[in-house]
Amino acid sequence: MSSTFDSANYATADSPPFDTISSLQFSPRNSEQLLVSSWDTTVRLYDISSTSSRKLEVRAKFDHRAAVLACSFSADGTRAYSGGLDTSVRELNLETEKITALGQHGDSISSMTYIASTQTLITGSWDRTLRLWDSRLPNAQQASFSTPERVYAIDHVNNTLVVAMASRLFHVYDIRKMDAPAQQRESSLKYMTRSLSCMPDGQGYATGSVEGRIAVEYFDPSPAMQEKKYAFKCHRQTIDDVDHVWPVNALAFHPPFNTLASGGSDGVVSLWDHKIKKRLRQYPKLPGPVAALAFNGDGTKLAVGVSYIWDEGDEGMSAGVTPWVGVRNVGDEAKPKSMTA
Amino acid sequence: MAKKKNKQIIRPWCWYCEREFEDEKVLMQHQKAKHFKCGMCPRRLNTAGGLAVHIQQVHKLEPENLPRIENALPGRDGYEVEIFGMEGIPAPDVADYKRRKEIELGLTAGSISQPPPKRAKIENRPLSEEELRRQLEEHKALMGLNNPDNAGTPAGESSTSTPSVFGAAQAYISPPIPATPTPPIGVPPPGFFPPGMPPPGAFPGAPPPFPPPFPGAFPPGPPPPGFMPPFPPGGPPPPGFVPPPGMPGVPPIPGRPPFMPPPFLPPGVPPPPGFTPPPGAIPGVPPMPAAAPPPTFVPASKPPAGPTPPVGSGPSPTTAAPPVQPKVTTQVRQPVLTLPNPSLAQTNPEFKKPTDLKVKDANFSPDEHRAIHAKYFVAQLTNPAAAESSSSNSASGPASSVGQPQAQATEETRGKKRARAEDFL
Repeated sequence: MSSTFDSANYATADSPPFDTISSLQFSPRNSEQLLVSSWDTTVRLYDISSTSSRKLEVRAKFDHRAAVLACSFSADGTRAYSGGLDTSVRELNLETEKITALGQHGDSISSMTYIASTQTLITGSWDRTLRLWDSRLPNAQQASFSTPERVYAIDHVNNTLVVAMASRLFHVYDIRKMDAPAQQRESSLKYMTRSLSCMPDGQGYATGSVEGRIAVEYFDPSPAMQEKKYAFKCHRQTIDDVDHVWPVNALAFHPPFNTLASGGSDGVVSLWDHKIKKRLRQYPKLPGPVAALAFNGDGTKLAVGVSYIWDEGDEGMSAGVTPWVGVRNVGDEAKPKSMTA
Repeated sequence: MAKKKNKQIIRPWCWYCEREFEDEKVLMQHQKAKHFKCGMCPRRLNTAGGLAVHIQQVHKLEPENLPRIENALPGRDGYEVEIFGMEGIPAPDVADYKRRKEIELGLTAGSISQPPPKRAKIENRPLSEEELRRQLEEHKALMGLNNPDNAGTPAGESSTSTPSVFGAAQAYISPPIPATPTPPIGVPPPGFFPPGMPPPGAFPGAPPPFPPPFPGAFPPGPPPPGFMPPFPPGGPPPPGFVPPPGMPGVPPIPGRPPFMPPPFLPPGVPPPPGFTPPPGAIPGVPPMPAAAPPPTFVPASKPPAGPTPPVGSGPSPTTAAPPVQPKVTTQVRQPVLTLPNPSLAQTNPEFKKPTDLKVKDANFSPDEHRAIHAKYFVAQLTNPAAAESSSSNSASGPASSVGQPQAQATEETRGKKRARAEDFL
C-alpha cells in the first residue's frame, strides 16, 4: 500500500489494445502466451518469452466486426475462440491467423469457457442462452440452453459450470447434464454480479459485485458447507466521510494455491486467502481500473488488464485511462500462510 | 511429534477473541494490548490474574466489581481462567476450536484434533492435572455449564470424551467433503463426444476446416438466426425483420402462424422444418422483447452418426438441407436496453452511509450500456454462416461491402469499426 506503482514489476505490451480490455487468458499449454480480447474489436495473442522478459510481443492479431467481450483458448493452445457484440462465435487459428465462424447468438456474447475434457466451448450471451460448440463438426453448435436472465459470466471447474446472470441469479450445472441446472441460486450479494471465478479445488466459486464486495460460495448443498459461505467488502475507500465503492471487475484463482486475486475499478489488485478470510497482499495501485485478471497455469504469472470499464458512461472515456496490459511474476505472496509453515 | 504437526495447521490463537496469530509472541503482545490492559490506567498486565490483582490493589476495586476482560467473546471475559499465550486454555475449548478449524480448512474430521489431544494437552501445559481439572470446572461453571454431565470429567480425557465435543465432531463426519462436488455422472448430453472418441471432422492442430459457404453449413433442422420459418402458410413475412415471437402487445401478424412450438423439444429430436421455437421456452417468460428475435437452435441431434462427413471432403454435408436461401439475412436492432423479464427487475438497496456507488444501474451492466453506445453498437446481426464462411483476417480481401445493401445502411453507426473482409463472401 505504501509503495507506489512501478511498471518495472510488469512485463508490458508495447502495443496494447486501443480500447478497454474485456478478457485475458493464458494458454493452457504455454504459460508465456496471453490472449487479450478488447473493445477495440481485436483479439491479440501476446508472447512473453521472446528476447527480453519485460516485453509482451504481439504474436497474432485478429480483427472483428465489433467489440470482443470474451475469448478462450482451446485445450491444446493452438486455437482460440472469441465472441462479442456482433454475436458470432469464432474460432481463431493462432498459427495461420484464420478466422472461422462457428455460429451465432441472438445477442452479444458476454462470456465463454472451454471444457478441455470434452473439447467443448460453452458461450453465454445476453440473449439468455448458453450454447455448446464443437468446432470439429461442420455443424458446430451442439446445443442451446435457455437461462432465465442475460448471462454475464460463466466459468467452470471439473464438471461443474457456474453461470452468473443479470438480476443476481446463478445457475450451477453439471456439464454432463446440461438440460437442467443442478442448482439455482440467488446471489448472496445485494448488487449486480460483475465477476465470477471457480475455485481450482472444485469446492466452490467466488463472485464479485458492482458494490465492492466478494462472496465465497460452495457447491456442496449440505447445510454444513453452505454455512461456510461468506462475503466481504473490498475495493472501496472512504474519502471525506463518503464511501466510494468500486465494482469488482475481475476475479481469478491461483491454480496451485487456491488463493483469490481480485481487481477493482479502484485500480487495486488484492490477493486473498479465502480459507482463513485474510488478505495476503495488495499490489501497488495501478494507473487505472482493473478490467481483467488471469493467472497462468502454474500460478507464476498474473496478467492484469487496466482500462476504463464504462462505469461512468461515455464521459468517463475522456478521463483518459490508457489501456494497459501487464504481466507480473507471482511468488510466495499468493501462498496461504498455512502452507508456508 | 504430534505437537509439531499440530503447530503447522493450527496457529496460535487467542482464547479471548479467537483470533489467530503468526506466533505465540505476537499472541502475547495482543493479549497484553487487547485483553489485559487496565481500563483505568495505561498499565498492561501479562495475565488476567495479574490484571485482577492490579485493579484490586491499585484502583481499590472490590473483587466482585472487577470490570470484565475487554474485547472478549461472551463467556470468556472472566478472570477465572488464567491464560498466558496459548497456555491455560481449557481443553474443551481447544478441542472445540480445532474442530471448527478443521471444518473451516476443509480437512477431514479429526485430522487436527485427533492427534491425541491427551498428548497435545500434556505437552502444551505444564500445569498439573489437578490444576487443569479445577480450571475446567471453574470455566464450566462460568460458562453456564451446558453439559452438566460433563462437569466431573477429568480434564485429561475431556477433549476426547466430552460428549458435546465428541458429538459435534461426529456430526461433522457425516457430511463428507466431496472431492468433486458434482452430481454423479450422467448420460452425456447430445452433442458431446465421449472423451476418447475421435472427432469426426477436423483434427486438432489442423487448420480449421472451411465450413461450406452455403446452405449445407446450416444446422440440420432449425433455421439459423434471422431466418424466417421458410414456408409460413399464408405468405412470406416482411423480409429482414422478424417480430419477436410472443412479444407482449404485438398481435400475431395476420396470415402468419404464431410461433407455437411444443414447450420443449427433447434433445436429439430434430424440430420439424420450418419452425423456430422461441428460446425462452419457459412458460410465462416472454422472450426478449427487444428487437432481436432470438435465434434458436434447438439442441442438435445426436452425436454425429451420419451427418458428419469429413469436413475437407466436400462443401456441403448432404444431410443438412433446410430450405435456406444462400443470401445473407440480417436482423436490425435498436440501441435500447429492455428488460427481458421485468418481473426480475432489481433495485439497489439503500446505503446506510453516504456512499458513492460507481455503478448504479441495478439492471444493466456497464457493458450492456456500452454496447448500445453509438461507438460500439452493432445494429444488425449478419448471419455468420452465410456471411462469413472463413477467411484470413489480415486484410486479405477488399474491405468494401460488395452487394450488401442492408449493411451499408448501418455502416456509419459502427463508427470507425470497419467492416472486414470476413463479413462478406
